[in-house]
Formats: sequence, C-alpha cells, structure tokens
Amino acid sequence: MFAVDVGGTFTDVVAFLDGEIRTAKVATDYQHVHAPVIAGAAELGVERSDVFNHASTHGLNAVITRNLPKIGFLATEGHRDALDMGRVWRPASALLDPNWRRPFGDASRPLVPRYLRRGIRERIMADGQVLFGLDEDQAREQLAVLERCGVKGVAICLINSYVNPQHEVRLRELVTEVLGNVACSISHDVSPLAKEYPRASTTVIDTLMKIIYADYTRALTSGLRGAGFDGELNFADSAASLVPVAEAMARPFRIVFSGPSAGAVASAHFGALTGEDHLMCADVGGTSCDISLVTGGAPFLDTTVELEHDLVVNTLAVDVTAIGAGGGSIVSVGPAGEIEVGPASAGSDPGPACYGRGGLLPTTTDTCLMIGIIDPSSFAGGRIPLDRELSRQAFERLEVDFSLGRRVRYAYEMAVHNIAEGIFNVAIKNGIDPRDYSLIAYGAAGGMLLPATLSQLHCRQVIVPPYPGLFSALGLLSASQVFMVTSSAYLMLGPDTAPRIDAIFSGLEEQLGEQLPAGGRATLERSLDGHLAGQSWDTPFVPVPSGRIGPAETALMIKAFHETYKQRSGNRFDSIAVEAVTFRIRATLDTPKVTYPELPPRGKELLAPLRDTTLQFLGAVDGDDKGSVEAAVYDRLSLLPGDVIPGPAVILEATSTTFVLPSQMMTVGRYGELAVRMA
Amino acid sequence: MTTRVNANRRIRDFEDEEFEGAYGCDRFTASILLNRLGYAVEHMSAGFLRQSFSPIIRDWYDFACTISGPPELGYPMSVVSNSLVGFLGTMADAVSNTVEEFGADRLAPGDVLICNDPYRSGTHVNDLCFIRPVFDGNRIIAFVNLRAHQLDMGGAVPGGFSATKTNVYENGLVIPPMLLWQRDQPVRSAFSLVCDNTRFGELLMPDFWSVYQQLKLGERLVAENTAKYGLPAFLGTLRYACDLSAERMRDAISAIPDGDYPGRALIDADGLDDTIEYDICVTLRKRGHDIEADLSGTSAQARTCINGGILEAKTAVGAAMTMLLDPSIPFTSGTWRWIDIAAPPGTVLSALPPNGPTMMYWEVMAALMTAVFSAVNPVLGENGVAGDYGSSNVHNAHGLRADGSAWTNICLVGGEHGPWGATKAGDADSYTVAYKDNNLDPAIEQIEHDSPCVVLRKEHAIDTGGAGAHRGGAANRKDTLFLTAGNHYSSPFRFKEPSGVGANGGSPGSTGGGVWIFPPAEESPRPNGLLGTSRDDFQNTIPVAGVLNPETKALDPDCGVYHYYAAQPVWVTDPGSVFRYQTNGGGGWGDPFSRDPGHVLADVRDEYVSIEAAARDYGVVVCGDPVSDPEGLTIDHAATASLRERHQRSPQSR
Repeated sequence: MFAVDVGGTFTDVVAFLDGEIRTAKVATDYQHVHAPVIAGAAELGVERSDVFNHASTHGLNAVITRNLPKIGFLATEGHRDALDMGRVWRPASALLDPNWRRPFGDASRPLVPRYLRRGIRERIMADGQVLFGLDEDQAREQLAVLERCGVKGVAICLINSYVNPQHEVRLRELVTEVLGNVACSISHDVSPLAKEYPRASTTVIDTLMKIIYADYTRALTSGLRGAGFDGELNFADSAASLVPVAEAMARPFRIVFSGPSAGAVASAHFGALTGEDHLMCADVGGTSCDISLVTGGAPFLDTTVELEHDLVVNTLAVDVTAIGAGGGSIVSVGPAGEIEVGPASAGSDPGPACYGRGGLLPTTTDTCLMIGIIDPSSFAGGRIPLDRELSRQAFERLEVDFSLGRRVRYAYEMAVHNIAEGIFNVAIKNGIDPRDYSLIAYGAAGGMLLPATLSQLHCRQVIVPPYPGLFSALGLLSASQVFMVTSSAYLMLGPDTAPRIDAIFSGLEEQLGEQLPAGGRATLERSLDGHLAGQSWDTPFVPVPSGRIGPAETALMIKAFHETYKQRSGNRFDSIAVEAVTFRIRATLDTPKVTYPELPPRGKELLAPLRDTTLQFLGAVDGDDKGSVEAAVYDRLSLLPGDVIPGPAVILEATSTTFVLPSQMMTVGRYGELAVRMA
Repeated sequence: MTTRVNANRRIRDFEDEEFEGAYGCDRFTASILLNRLGYAVEHMSAGFLRQSFSPIIRDWYDFACTISGPPELGYPMSVVSNSLVGFLGTMADAVSNTVEEFGADRLAPGDVLICNDPYRSGTHVNDLCFIRPVFDGNRIIAFVNLRAHQLDMGGAVPGGFSATKTNVYENGLVIPPMLLWQRDQPVRSAFSLVCDNTRFGELLMPDFWSVYQQLKLGERLVAENTAKYGLPAFLGTLRYACDLSAERMRDAISAIPDGDYPGRALIDADGLDDTIEYDICVTLRKRGHDIEADLSGTSAQARTCINGGILEAKTAVGAAMTMLLDPSIPFTSGTWRWIDIAAPPGTVLSALPPNGPTMMYWEVMAALMTAVFSAVNPVLGENGVAGDYGSSNVHNAHGLRADGSAWTNICLVGGEHGPWGATKAGDADSYTVAYKDNNLDPAIEQIEHDSPCVVLRKEHAIDTGGAGAHRGGAANRKDTLFLTAGNHYSSPFRFKEPSGVGANGGSPGSTGGGVWIFPPAEESPRPNGLLGTSRDDFQNTIPVAGVLNPETKALDPDCGVYHYYAAQPVWVTDPGSVFRYQTNGGGGWGDPFSRDPGHVLADVRDEYVSIEAAARDYGVVVCGDPVSDPEGLTIDHAATASLRERHQRSPQSR
C-alpha cells in the first residue's frame, strides 16, 4: 500500500510493504506537483503496491492564493451577485472595522469576477413550478460572451434548482453546445440543498477543482503506470474517506479539504490499535495548528466546511479547526505591552530568524531554539542549519522593557497557551470534557509544543505516535473506501411521509448498488440531517433504521432526532415536529489498513541518553536571568516499550522533537508511541 | 465605577508588582483570562444561533451575549460577542439598571432576570434581556447576559416593526425587571405574562429554553475560569479589559486636533405624516484627551415610534468613534470613559415615555453615526471613513395563501442590507450589513419557502457607489413579486439626503434610493420576465418612497418630489404585484480623478460604472461594449489625459 500527502511545503510519501513502514519526504514542486509524487513513489517501490491513496492541499492552496483558472458563473438573471454577497456577515474581529472587506468579494479577491458572472433569463419557484421558462437564445448570447473571454469552465447555480433541476440540466447542454467540452458543474448535481449562496459557492469550487485536478490526475496516473504501478488509485475526500479516482473527479468539490482531514483518520486508526477511542488530534506545522476530534473511535464530521470566512463548501468533512499557531508564528508586542504570538507567521520564506534567510522577527521556532529544546545541528534531519545568535538578536529587537529571559519565557508560554486555548475551544464547541480524552500530537512541531498543554487542558495524556512528521500521510493508509449517496427533500417526519422516505432510500440504495464494486463487503449506514419545525440550522447524522420505512420507522427516526438534539443542545422538545432535509447512505468497504510494527521489549542493553543538555529560561528567570534546567536528550530510535523517562527530557528523531516538561513523565508504548502524563 | 488608572501612566509601562496590585494577577494571566472570556461569549452565541426558532434569530443573528462584572465594581462590561453593536453598547447599562432595580441581594444562584423596557435597558421592547448572576459562594462575581429579539412583544402591530405607533401602550408589552427562572425553576407566572400578551408563543417558548441553556454554559465557563485562576485574577481581568479600552480610546482621541466639530444628518419623516423632518445634530468638542458629543439642536422627539433613547445615542457615538479613530479598540464599558454625551431630554435621540415610543431606534442611531462621520471626517484626512447606506429600509408584509393559511414576511425583502463606504483600505463592499450591525442575510430560497413570494432581483445598481480614488459600494436593488394579495409596511427613512457621505475628498454615494410598487399587468398576474430598470420603466408604478421625478417617477434627487412611505398606512396590493427597493449608495474616498484608470476600466467591465459616468465622475474615457465584449474594452489615454487636465484646471467642471 502506498500513500501520498501533498502539502504546501513538503510532499510526504509512505509505503506499507511486507509489514514494514517506509517513508520519504520531498519538497513540493508548485510547477509540476505530480513530479515529486511519482519520484518519491518510485523510490519506495510503488510497482509492488496494489493501492495508491492520495490527499492534497494543492486545490485548497490554489483557492486561498487565488491562483485559479478562469471560469464563468451562470445565475438566474438578477442574482449574479450572490457570489459577491455571501451571507454578508463579518467576523467578530471586524465588528467595528470599516476597513474590513469580504475576502471573496468584488472589492477584494473574487473567485469569479463580476463580468464573468452572467444572468440567465429563467425562473423556478420554491415549489418547483416554472414561473418563466429558460430563454435559450438569451442563454446562448451569454455563453458566447464567456467563450469570447476564453473561460476554462462554467459553474451553474439557479434559484430553486434544488427542487427542480430542469433548467440547469438544459443549460449544461447549451454550455457543451457553445463552449465545447469544458469543465461544467450544475448545483443540483453537486449539492441539492436549499440556500442559494452555499450551493453556488460549492458549485464554483467544484468547477475549479475539476480544472485544477484534471491535468494533474492525468499526469499522476500515467506517471504511476510508467513507474510500474497497476493497482487502484484513490483520492481522499474531505472526510478522509477514500474514493476511486474516477468517482472523485466526477465531484471533486469533495476533495478540496482532504489534506487537513487525513490526520484525524490516522489518529482514529492508531487509537484503535492502542485502545484509545476518545482523542483530540492536533497537527502542529509551520504556520497553523489543525485541531479535530475523534469520539468513540470515529472522527467528528460536519456537513459544511469554510475555506475562508464565509467561503462555504457543502460537503461532509472532518471538522478541522485551524488556528494560527505553529513553529513559524511570529512573536510581537501588543498594545498593552504584553507578548503576543501569532497568528501571523513567517512561513518558510523568510522563515524564523534562526534560518538566516532574512527573517528579523522572532518566532516560536526561535523561542524553542533559545530554550534549547531544538538542536540547531539536527533540525529537519540536518537539512536546515539554525543560528541561535540570530534568534537572540530578534528577541533583543522587541520593544519591551523586560529581560531577554522573560521575553523568551513569555513567548514560550504564550505559544503553548494559544494552542491549548484553541484545543479547549474545540472541546467546548463540541460539548466534550477534555478529561475524557487523550491528545494525539503530530506534525513537525507537535511533540515540541503539545505536551506542555497538559496542565492547562487536563486531558488524560499526550501521545506522540510513530512518524509524527508523516502521520497525516499514514492516515491515508488507515482510511476506508467509502461510497456515499445523498438526496434532499424537505419532509415532516410522520406516518404520512413514510412512503416518500421509503422511496427515497430505495432509490439511494439502487444508486449505491451501481457504484459499489462487485464482490466488495460493505457496511451500510443510513442517516438524516434535519431540524425542529421552525429552525433553519440542521442537526446532522440522525440514525435511520435499515430496511423498509413505514410509520413505525418514522416514529423511531423522530425519537432518534430528539435524542441526537438533546445530546448536542441540552434541550429536548418532544412536542415540536421534525423536518428532515437530507437523507444519506454511506457504504464503508472492508479496506486493508496499515498495521504498526510492534517493537521488541528491552533486553540487556540499558536505556541511556545521548547526552545531557542545559535548557534555559524555564526555571526562575528573575535572578541570574537564565532559569537553567538540566535535561537528558534521547534518540527516539533507542527507545523501547516499557521505557519510562522523567521530565525534563528532549527526544530527537529525524523529522520531529518531543519535549517532556520537568513535572511530567513519559512512557514508551508497544508501537514506540510516547505517552506523556503529569508526574 | 471601574478603577481609574493614572492618566499619565500607561498600562504597558506598569511594573509587574504594580500590574498585580491593580488587577490581582500578572499581565500574562490577565490576557489569557480575557481571551477565554471572549471565547465564552462566542460559544454562547454559536449555540443559540443554531438552536433558535425565530427567523429573526436563526436567519438574522439578532441577538448578542456579554459578560459584566459585579455591582461593587460598577458592572463593568468586559467582553462582548460578535453581533449588533446597538445591542452591545446598551447592554452595560441594561445589566446595571435591571439588577439595581430588582436588587442584587434578592438574586440567588440559578436565577434568570429579564427586562425589555427601552428606557431602562435600551433598544426596543422586542429585545428581551436575559441576565444570569454567577455566584462564588454567596457572592455575585459576574453576570452572563444574552439579549435576543423576540418575534413579537404584543402591541398594535404584529411583529412590532412599524413606524406608526404613537405611545408606549401601542408599542408592546413592557417587562420590568423580573425573574423568568428562579433557582433553575421556571417561574410560571412570568412565562404566562409573556406568552399571554404576545403572538407566536410557540416560537418564543422554545427560544427561551435555548437561551437558558446558553446562560448555563456561560455561567459554567466563568466558574471554571474563576476556579482555575482565582477570584482576584478574574475580577481584576474584568477591570483590566475596560481600562485597556479606555486607555486606547484616550490615545486615539488625543491624536485628533482640539476643536469643535459640528455634524448633522436627516431623518425624512416619522410615521404620522411628512410635515416634519427630523434633524440629528451633534457638536463634538475635543480638548486634550476628552471629547464631548453635544446633541443640542437635534429635533424634539417624534410623534411616532422612530425615536431612540439616550442609551442608543451613547452607543452610536461610541461605535462611530471606535470606527473612525481605532477599530481595534475592544468594545467595552471602558470605550466611553473619555467620551461625554450631553443631550437635552425629549429629543428624537433622548426620547421619554409615554409619548416618545422607540421601535425603529436603529434608524436614529445610524443617522447619528453619519453625523459623527461628517463631523470628524474633515480632520481625519486619509483616515476618514465614507458613509454607508444609512437606513435599513425595512419591509414587512402579511397576507393569506389560497388555502386560507396566514403568511408573514418580516425584514426580508426591503433594503435591509446595502453598501458600505470606501476607506483607505480600498473600494467598499456593495451588499453588506450597516456599520452599526452585524448579522446574516436570509437566503432567498428560505424566504420563498416560508412565504408566497419570488425575489426577482437582488443585485448591485450601476452608477450608485460614490466616486473616489476608492469607490463606494453600489446600492442594492431588490424586486419581489408577491403571489397573493398582501398588506405591506415600508419604513425607509433616509432618501432625502445622501447617507453615504464622502471621505478624504471622495464623492457621496448616490442620494436617495426609492421604493415602488409595480402593479400586475392586466393580461396576466404573473410577469414573464424581469422588470426593467431604465428611467422609462417606472411610468406605471405606484411610488411608495423616495425623491422621484413627477413625470417619469424614476429617481431624481435634484429636481424630484419626495414621496412619503406612510402616505398609505398600509400598502394593500393585488396578487402579482412587485415591490422594488433601491438603497442609497456608499460614499467614495479620495479624489475620483486620481483613481487608477485601470481600476475605472475594471469598474466599467464589471458594470459598477457606466461609460458615461467613467468620463463624468472619474475623467476616464473607456471605449467598447461592456455587456457583450467585456474584455474588449480599452482606455482612450489621450482623451483621458485631456479630461483630467481640464478637471485639474477647473475642478468644478465635472
């Protein structure tokens, strides 16, 4: 089995062959994204693999940086500005800020400029009736304008098409007639849900992804074939489910958020091996910390994802909260003279001051280097030599009165605090108690910063898994192949609607049957999203019984809704009717997964540190201003199950560093995972 | 009162011991604790939005959450959620007034206190404040608070939104400070009082329970933080938050030159008749780090419920000063420490019961903000902020479907949202929420699912954004077809003068939107296409509001005649009628003749600016056809240079 996770800076390749995990980390090439993927795969022997799973932040980065192909957008006449308006509100931080602009608005960085958004003469009403028909001549004129402008694709979202798609379907035919075989998505196919803006933005993202991934997929497929691979190619979607490449490319809006989601699946799978099914997952990289939850062994999913403020995509996605806290987060001085860390990041260029690439501002990496947690000679496998003197100078430049020791100390504590706060915030948002959860720490900076959050979070322990720097890629070897079908209809649950709901599920099962590969063993799971009559925000994933849906089954669905609602909101309103909106079946196929090799127990050879080191600024920083603490430094490769190491200690490995605080104790588990608890 | 720090000593210069002495904890703990409390109010808000039933909450976000400190500290409001500024600014006083009147010593753990009286707690009767004390042992250490708009509060008009009510008795049920929950048990008499006197009790009741859950969440989060960091740190942080706002506002005020700055804005008419215009006047007197907003000259309170109370005036001034001087100052009770408000009693901004009812209070607030902008912009130079669309232009309607069932359509298809003004940051957004508000825009498909209407247009109108080096946002034009007969109330207040005032030499946004009814065509009650937007397309309309040409009935701000929105108390329409709303435009920033010609070309390409206006307002000559060949447009550089040169010689020639 092979997996590749294409990130913004590095492309991670992992192979699981003959019971062994092999890894490669190569620089991402923005011009030829597929090239390092194929090179890395060839290096690790892809010709011996029967499966190749793929996730990428390539599409997401293209959206965030607006490095996008030119497309047109067709809307009902009078409504082309829906994409500029969004849902209109601004974030809390901009409450009284007259300089705030909607990030995707015409005054800022639109995904489709206004002149490429064209109104089409037609109108369908809320009940699906046609108020006036599609004016095909006018539509052809508009398409001719788009043709003159040389668009590479067309996204179509008409008002009320979620009820009646006939005009969208016909328009798609006209697109082919006028523009030929360009990428084209219609909203009824992509996301047949009410509320025009999220449906339109999802459709635009779908069209963009079709174009962005089409050439890439062709190059990747032929490159892999060239390297001798003739197995199955899967793309991970935003819920980190594996989807065969053809199916993924039919609806590629689903894969836009695949990069950040894989870590949660890796955590869930590793947790299952180690008996941990309640996990808070934190991936700390250079610019951000991505936080997600695994409860009862399953990642927490949501039905929408926002790529930027209010840039909504309607897709099942792992609920990942990104906060601006990572190794590159910049240390600065706030208006009241307090030390602030992030959310701005120095990125990888110029990067932290200690990189010596011209960065003058101190970052969290500089903080850890000043303390002595990071070894300047072995950072990133020795590829980036670090200069501590540059870090010191950067801290000296901060305009505050207090000593260097305090600057570093506060910067460290604030960096840890920000991450702890972000994780706590996710816990509160989802109504969980961190004391029931373990925190799984990965990403290059996860082990370095996360154990320190223990005293603030009160979670059970912090676990640093094997290969923390490549853990998300391992998630792609931990995921299942999932086929999902959905249908939307606004129906009050009750005996009257049972026949319609039964027909919907029969139809969905038939649709699923066509997609599922013959002979695969699949577990089917039905669910619905709905709300109490009068509400407009849905409660997702209400369980639905299998088999025929009759009055007894709708009664069970209503009961299940109230139970799910009570769990999520604390209230129960049995007297209020329940309206279902989305019906769903997920078929999970039995998919082979990575197994982590167990390490042998320690024999006669004694556990010994590589050396001792002096960490600074962690003890009292008032007197000699050093706050020195002695710590042992270990090579992770030398650790074996059952080893117990008291803090303070630093554990080095090729792509990551783990720091155990003085008040903590670390135990090595069966698979070499490091479990840190309060002593 | 909150602690007054020595005016000459800044918080950032405090030695550690000094900080600890002032705020009961170290600097680091205070910023962490403050951050956590900020999250607490956001969590309360997120929970309530998703669980609410009233359309105005679930689709509009018409509510807000705050945390205030205990009585002995003067109830400092230290953190606020994202929401309507009008709610947030009045919450500090709402909490102190409500608790003081009820008696803090009569409160017990598990109580929820309510109040909706505008003269005690601000805004209007539909906005019910829910206040829950948080105890540490026997001592009240904080209040967690949520104010939410209720779909109905009784009174003469269903839903309440109307400019026509003439006293507080018609306005709606007034609830003085009283308990809705006592020791976590619902108080039956209080629930009955509310539900017996209001419509839509079936929505109000579950919303109350959702509010209750959020208050309990807020209480739990405050208690957890107090347990973790200690009571002195918690109380110190509440004061720290307010002191920080105060210090930063003081710095910001100091940065503008001393002087007296007059500003004004106009409300077209109240809900009785159009014989009286209402002036909103403010004189800002700035001396050192103090500023006084004197509202003398503002018109006497209106005869109908378009008034605001003094708490709204205070909020509008604080919000406008924050936006103009330093938007990053956190909005707390400390915002006003160096701002004094002086107003004679009984004006349209300091109305008194029983004959100065407040319902459309946000309209006078918005006008006061415009007045402050127009007063201060001239001395701010490039930091000036152009004005927004000014009025929410709310539309309310109800009627019966063919099957006899009733429908209502409240604040959905008027001119509730519109453009902002430009700033140094660039061109403005065209369809957004007024400066003083922040909320969601209901989806058209949700509106059409809930009531028998079809929103035919919701788009930016060409040549309406104020010209400038940075262009103001375009006015919004909205056409709505009503499939059944309907009764409509329209409340636009600011069509006579531009609300989108210019900044830094920019032009104001288009003056005056308008409201029209297009009656159904005789041959068919349903249109077979969109209604036109050219000047000749208004001939058969019934004008509802705006300054319109007597012949064409199209907008004519210079020579037209004002049409009064309540000329008919209720606008009764036949099935197939279409309402059109057009808002005012947003103001421009900077000299339009210095706008990058490439940006003007893009404006023409995107149909924000016509070819004629590009030449007239910007001095840029664009050639080609933006509609059929948008990428084929070119700039005639020679003609542009000559136009701009001519303008430079004689700026009045445009």
